Amino acid sequence: MKYRILLTFLCTLVLLPSARAQPTAFFEKNCYSCHDAETKKGGLDLKSLKGDPTSFGRWVKVHDRIESGEMPPGKKDKVPASDRAAAVKSLHGFVVKLEQAKIAGEGRTGTRRLTRVEYENTLRDLLDLPGIPLQGELPADGSAHGFDNNSDALDISHVNLAKYLEAADRALDMAIATRPSAPVVVKQRISLANPHGFVAHVLLHGDGVLLKNKQPDPEFPPAGEHLHIDQGAHERMGSFRNGASVGLFRHEDESFHPYFNEFVTIYPGQYRVRTSLWAFQWDKGKVLAARGTEAARLSIVTLTGDGRGGGHPSTVLGYYDAPSMEEKLHDFTTWLNPREIIGFNAGSLAPGANTRGKLRAMGFTGPAIACDYLDIEGPLHQTWPPASHRHLFGDLPMVEIKVGKDSTVRAPKRKLDRQEMGQGKNRPDPVKGIWTVSSDDPLADADRLLGKFLARAFRRPVDAEVRKQYVAKVADRLKAGDCFETALRWAYRAALCSPDFLYHVEPAGKLDDHALASRLSYFFWRSMPDERLAGLAGAGKLREAETLRAETERLIKDPKAQRFVEDFLGQWLKLRQIANNDPDRKLYPEFSAYLQDSMVAETRAYFRELLDKDLHAGYLVKSDFAMLNEKLAVHYGIPGVSGSQVRRVPLPAGSPRGAFLTQASLLKITSNGTTTSPVPRGAFVMDRLLGRPPEPPPPDITAIEPDVRGATTIRELLDKHRSNAACFACHAKMDPPGFALESFDVIGGFRTRYRSIGMGDPAPRGSIDPFIGIGFKLGPAVDPSGELTDGRQFKSIAEFQDLIAADRSALLGNLTRQFAVYGTGRDVSFSDREQIAAIVANAEKKGGGVRTLIHELCQSRLFQTR
Amino acid sequence: MNKLFIAAAVFSLTVPTIGVGQKEDATPIRVKHQITGLFSKARETDLRDAFAEVDGIKLVEIDFANAEATLEYVPAKVFPNAKPEQVIQRLDAMLKSASRHTFGIKPLRSTPKEKLKFIEIAVGGCDCKACALAAYEAVYKLDGVETATVDFREGRLTALIDPEKADPSKLEAALKQKGVTIKAR
Repeated sequence: MKYRILLTFLCTLVLLPSARAQPTAFFEKNCYSCHDAETKKGGLDLKSLKGDPTSFGRWVKVHDRIESGEMPPGKKDKVPASDRAAAVKSLHGFVVKLEQAKIAGEGRTGTRRLTRVEYENTLRDLLDLPGIPLQGELPADGSAHGFDNNSDALDISHVNLAKYLEAADRALDMAIATRPSAPVVVKQRISLANPHGFVAHVLLHGDGVLLKNKQPDPEFPPAGEHLHIDQGAHERMGSFRNGASVGLFRHEDESFHPYFNEFVTIYPGQYRVRTSLWAFQWDKGKVLAARGTEAARLSIVTLTGDGRGGGHPSTVLGYYDAPSMEEKLHDFTTWLNPREIIGFNAGSLAPGANTRGKLRAMGFTGPAIACDYLDIEGPLHQTWPPASHRHLFGDLPMVEIKVGKDSTVRAPKRKLDRQEMGQGKNRPDPVKGIWTVSSDDPLADADRLLGKFLARAFRRPVDAEVRKQYVAKVADRLKAGDCFETALRWAYRAALCSPDFLYHVEPAGKLDDHALASRLSYFFWRSMPDERLAGLAGAGKLREAETLRAETERLIKDPKAQRFVEDFLGQWLKLRQIANNDPDRKLYPEFSAYLQDSMVAETRAYFRELLDKDLHAGYLVKSDFAMLNEKLAVHYGIPGVSGSQVRRVPLPAGSPRGAFLTQASLLKITSNGTTTSPVPRGAFVMDRLLGRPPEPPPPDITAIEPDVRGATTIRELLDKHRSNAACFACHAKMDPPGFALESFDVIGGFRTRYRSIGMGDPAPRGSIDPFIGIGFKLGPAVDPSGELTDGRQFKSIAEFQDLIAADRSALLGNLTRQFAVYGTGRDVSFSDREQIAAIVANAEKKGGGVRTLIHELCQSRLFQTR
Repeated sequence: MNKLFIAAAVFSLTVPTIGVGQKEDATPIRVKHQITGLFSKARETDLRDAFAEVDGIKLVEIDFANAEATLEYVPAKVFPNAKPEQVIQRLDAMLKSASRHTFGIKPLRSTPKEKLKFIEIAVGGCDCKACALAAYEAVYKLDGVETATVDFREGRLTALIDPEKADPSKLEAALKQKGVTIKAR
């Protein structure tokens, strides 16, 4: 027995080198004829390819091509399987050896800083300031391996550092209470026709009406043959202040920005917002039942400059239903920052359509949205001082600090409470004197407060020595004459700009408990661990499999996981690029901001559904349900969906909709706004969904320009290109998915013929809003057929979906890699492949669900190692 | 006759100042003033509402035909230490504030009525009080226009003008500039 073990060991030793060397004999027999110095097919001279880390990437490709059977070309049946297997095994060992050498030289994962998103979320959670805007002021992050949280993309410069200082100051300014009691809560009712706004102006011209009891306001008859003159006279006369509802026929556009600008936020905080909306059909002076439920968009608008005019930056709060002739009250709480107001848009109405005819409102028949009022109440504070202040100063009392010749300490700097915008009718609630925290034992308090703060900010226990250094800063400032608040603020500011805060500090090799807690929380929350997660890490329990599973589950179910959904999809499926192009208005007049926002909402809701219901990877490309609101359902031609809220909708048999592959968001992102091309779409599918990214195009190849005149199809143009043998190899792989997706236009609408602005037949209206003019024609027919590299053919998008949905393992494998890259902040390496395969296999054993997959990943060595 | 009229007007302006400098004269006085913004009969209610918000001033009577109103107040209480020329300015400011600048007060007109000319212009516009105010203000600010009324329902604007200072074409030009349609006579 002993001899047998010894023999095995010796054999292993003997065999080891050969298992980690180039399979030269295989190359001689099958490869060198094309890939030597003379022929160098595809630019590869295998004979002289260096066996060192600099050629690592090329060796991985050699391995993959031989393993997949793609190489040697056309010899799949001629190369004995055993020869191929031996060569692959040998190459595998060789490539792993190269990778180890590469890692030894460069290190496996660089230390990475927080991304802009992570930075903002972390400060929001650290200081309990859930709406403070910070990332917009920070330099944009780069991207590597598909994600911005990769160490390869996260460089740092003096610009970053300067911005971090500013951001830290801004956060501390907002966090620190400067008064003994909360500002008085303002309750304000605002009409959409508030003075100095855009709406009052368009009401004068007949793009809307004032209504009382669902009838035209007798004091403000709808503009007809005559328009209303002199907006100022109407404002003085109180035409817009008499409690009338505002009915709008007009969608927001370049010169029309409806704002509720009588309330301009002075104090940051939570505000309760309530608004009453309904819809109606306007018929030349009559108010009738609407065509259905309309949707209004509310947004948060940040006033810039003096706040006048429109087009100020905004973020969408949401779309809110306006049912026919029935008021719907929408009541929610949101965070508002100084200079922010609420914006409005009659989102579901046709953009570009208004009533500017000779008879104005009295000559117009069409849909309208009514807003009765908008109530705003706040700032709402559950406690005072607020939680943000308590994180910094605990329960230390606030006192009025005396400023004068006799004072021995410098008072903290304070900004005046004031309404910066002239249109804001809400006024500040200033406090007399300068108030600040008081400490009887400053250094002891500083030590105590910093001890707690630093551990949270640095996401792990902090050495006493480090804490002392920060306390020493406080002591220095106190000696220099600063008050306690200012002195401690110096330390907090320094902490927020320190590497301990700005970087993910992870030990080499296996992660410790705190690093694991951070990795989990940044994976699912894009932010620091909460108290429970940090507590489990501190107690050393997080590594226990069941605890880790329960915590993973808790994090995924937490509302903060929406950050993961948005951030991950923004990068994996490039949702961040949704607004990169504006569809051509002549070709796609039905496109609107509402449609685009609905597209994004669909993709996010679908991903959330995959997680919640733990659906298998086949759902990435084929589904029997979709996440839709009325806007998208109409766009997709699916009946029976009403309202703005996205919900799960069963799909009729044979519908290609639902899955990511055919979602309008992805179809728009992979288009240029005017035309589609199978090449970028195919490349996107190969890279993002199937995990087989195509080679980048050669530098001297010009892009194929589709013909929008309708004379030649993109397929005809591509066929010429593909006839070139050098091009064919790559295009044979990436074009087929793109051909299948030719069934969808640049905004994700299904088509059997291309739209054209030149030649073609008159286009039927279809589901396009009757208030939108149609100027395009129908050009050549779409051919969505194709052939995969393995010879399988498809005639339609549905057949293509069937083909790729069948290979769930491949889809799950790609998703695992995407999660792994995103969750660990580094690319998956060649030697990770076995672990990835094991994660996929384990997930498949448990049903292959997406949430199961995430659990398996979090339990893996891959995830728990730096 | 003119001299008598001017004397009466000056007297009416100086009445509120009686008692200025005195310690506490609680005797109310009645004074008549011209009211701007009173361009339709329906505006009488608005005027009453506006004066209801002005402390210490009682609206006794409205003479719509002449756009005048009689007010009652105790000068020492409402305008303590005010100089005579300040009283009417303060009254005007108080009424403007209470009416969001849709009414105002000015001294009784100095031009005798028989010297003024009544004119009527056919106009088109929204039957809306604010539009009427806009049209009224367009003509009333012109030199030589003493009073004016606007009624878009009836499609007419009337005015008492001093022919030496204003004429109908001047009013029509101002109305057109404001966006009011002038109909053919």
